Amino acid sequence: MALPFTNDIRTLRFLAGEMTQGDLGERVGVTRQTIAAIEQGKYSPSLEVAFRIAHVFGKPLEAVFQWDDGTD
Amino acid sequence: MTFREKTHWVALVVMIAAFGWYFFRLHTALPHGPGNIAASGSLLTVVTIGIIVAMSIIIGVIAARSPSEAHAAADERERAIHWRGTHYAYYPIVLGVWLCIWMIFAGYSMPTLLNTLLAVVVSAELVRIGAQLYLYRRDG
Repeated sequence: MALPFTNDIRTLRFLAGEMTQGDLGERVGVTRQTIAAIEQGKYSPSLEVAFRIAHVFGKPLEAVFQWDDGTD
Repeated sequence: MTFREKTHWVALVVMIAAFGWYFFRLHTALPHGPGNIAASGSLLTVVTIGIIVAMSIIIGVIAARSPSEAHAAADERERAIHWRGTHYAYYPIVLGVWLCIWMIFAGYSMPTLLNTLLAVVVSAELVRIGAQLYLYRRDG
């Protein structure tokens, strides 16, 4: 089932000098596979991990994750 | 494939091989009747030691090839997969317990009850490992 939100992690990684999923995972405290799953919308991270990801990129949470359930 | 996923595959293969052999031997080579419980116990001891040895060696080799992954703590997604797999394994346990309760009242012998209980535990383990592997693949 598709999650009701999208994210810009791939773009933000690119803008951060092609940061790898492994590097991001290491800085956030999760595995590379978990970052890949979040990026592809297959796994919904906890609020803590979502904030940690946003913090790595120096962005507010809503700049990384966007609510998108198709009702807007 | 991650270290944890590999260990799950090892556990699945070892469990199927070990208990497949156990139940095959049980029905083909062991004597039936009251003496069967001692023979089942001996066979079960051999299988349990075999599982521990095989798992320790294979997982040790895999861990030696990727030590950083092997020593890393499970993250929140991996913990969620673990919990969900364990949750799915609860259902065969409940069904198995009710089956065993019925078998006690129906007067089944102790060896049959013992091996049914063992089959319930093995089924639950296979469901747990299988579900976790599926979730690793689906969410990976």
